Amino acid sequence: MKRWLLWFLLAPQTFLLAGLWHDVGLPAFEIGALACLHLALFAERRSVPWLLLGLAMGRALVDDASLPIHLLVLGIPVAVLLPLRTVLPGAWLPLQVAVALLYAVAIPKLSLLLGVVFAQPTAAGRLDGGVVAWSAVLVPALLVGLRRLPPWAAFEEVR
Amino acid sequence: MRDRRPAFPVGLYGMLLFALCWLVLPVVFAPLEGVLVGAGTLVVRAAAVLAGTPVEAAVAATPAERGLVVDLAARLQAHAVPASADWTNGTAPVHCAVIALGRRGAREAIGGGGEPCEILLDHTYAELVGCRTLVTKGNVLVGWLQRPGSGIAADDTLDDFARVMLVNHPQAPALHAELHEPAATPLRLVVRAAKVADPASLRVDLWHDPWRASRLDRAGLPVFTRAAIGEQSTPAGLLLGTTRIWGYAADRDGEPFTLGVFVLPTVSARALSHVVLWRGAAIDPALAGARPAAAARTLVPSRAVLHDLPGATHGRHLLVTTATPMAGAAAVADGRLLGLVRPLAFGSALMTTFAASRQRWSLVLLPDAAAEPPLELQAEVVADDGDAVRLRVLAHIVTEVDGARQVRIGAGWLFTGTNGLACPSGLRIGRCEPDPVDPRFLLVSVPRVRGPLAVDVLASAEAR
Repeated sequence: MKRWLLWFLLAPQTFLLAGLWHDVGLPAFEIGALACLHLALFAERRSVPWLLLGLAMGRALVDDASLPIHLLVLGIPVAVLLPLRTVLPGAWLPLQVAVALLYAVAIPKLSLLLGVVFAQPTAAGRLDGGVVAWSAVLVPALLVGLRRLPPWAAFEEVR
Repeated sequence: MRDRRPAFPVGLYGMLLFALCWLVLPVVFAPLEGVLVGAGTLVVRAAAVLAGTPVEAAVAATPAERGLVVDLAARLQAHAVPASADWTNGTAPVHCAVIALGRRGAREAIGGGGEPCEILLDHTYAELVGCRTLVTKGNVLVGWLQRPGSGIAADDTLDDFARVMLVNHPQAPALHAELHEPAATPLRLVVRAAKVADPASLRVDLWHDPWRASRLDRAGLPVFTRAAIGEQSTPAGLLLGTTRIWGYAADRDGEPFTLGVFVLPTVSARALSHVVLWRGAAIDPALAGARPAAAARTLVPSRAVLHDLPGATHGRHLLVTTATPMAGAAAVADGRLLGLVRPLAFGSALMTTFAASRQRWSLVLLPDAAAEPPLELQAEVVADDGDAVRLRVLAHIVTEVDGARQVRIGAGWLFTGTNGLACPSGLRIGRCEPDPVDPRFLLVSVPRVRGPLAVDVLASAEAR
């Protein structure tokens, strides 16, 4: 119960912290890719739907689209990779880099597509090459630290 | 030990399916969304207490900026009526704002050319008692005011916002019109709403002189109404639009061959903010006994405090409100539009600034040249960089045709058009210049919003 309380209290703030990171002059990266990578490769499988809800709440704070759009934008990339978790070596760094790169492209594209389909245009649909490149570098690195911090650490899958 | 649980993530797919249901029925799930996202703002609200006292002076308008609103209203009214027309004798103009496009179920009512074919005004039927059915904009015929309880307004009552059927509505009457060719007698024709898939909103149905019509070799000719008598009588001389010809151009040996002629209206419903109705002496029996006309809608502002969301430099702000605002309500500081509000639970709301928005806006440009009429347009923000916003113009309104459909968009001040009940026309946005590289774009100076700031959130008195 405590870990869930912490999750819904703190996980949404991750998206605001990512903006703060950029505001202080550090290179911008796709925080959605970080969240999705954790859910797809390391989070407790049965908890993923509710973890996703907390993250979608966070994305709704910084983006104009409605909450279900954010559930889909973050959830679809996770849903693609999650069934493959048993065969993928999640701890292998090149895999993390490749997935972070793919997610950093897929998330803005999905935002744009769903925004058009459901008439909820969003500024998050713009693909920025610099953000994609920095995501490939920063996401795996930040994930190492994030997995050791509450509330993320409390939802690590025990293998 | 190897994980032997099934790989198929049923729970996650169920959540995605739920999200799709949520999108299909947004009204049902709106309270849930308000609670969830509102809960997400609680930490930020706690931090906002430390942010300091809200200020108002930061966005105070200069006297010149305040005077712009008066100038806008005066010029809108002056240019909304035709300069001189016999049919206006004995009637007085009633200026109405457009509050929304008419809907059929969950979708906009679409007519000829795939364009919206109904609009709702900011006056109720009861308030428009004594008005003719004719709805105009400058010298342009816009449509016809409907009667509650009949036709397309069968479900409306006297106290509902008045519905106007536009000329491209499938049920709109055919119009007797004439096409003005230079140095030739007008060519008489009958115009009616085109099909949804057609390339323009109106099409020519019958010609008085088909042989002459088949030899039309240039488009962009103005089409005006001719006087018609009937239930929806139409005076002569109102502009319907300009021609668009489908056919084969003349080659070296032959002559042009016209397959069809369409009429492209000069008024786009999506860009329309203001129309004029005409109140005469005679009162429609259906409306007899209704209360007299009231002033336009009054918007009751509620006070709110705007806070910066940490890191949300892209125009997202937290509002701490005393009353739950309407979705899409305008947040305003001293007459200047800051952004649109999304209500949440727990006294919180989120605001997206104009610069960060990517929706399509109905806007009004007040040109610097005092003789020029305000230009109503539809545009969307495509980029924002610091205090400058780049807008793409999607449609604009032309009320006079002098050979060219396109008007030159000059420098001036940009205001909101009508963007719903709680985001009315006439809210100042910023100084606007045409993009020197591409005239389809406008560059607007929009000062950045910084919290904490005391703001007003507009809400319709009726909506409360």
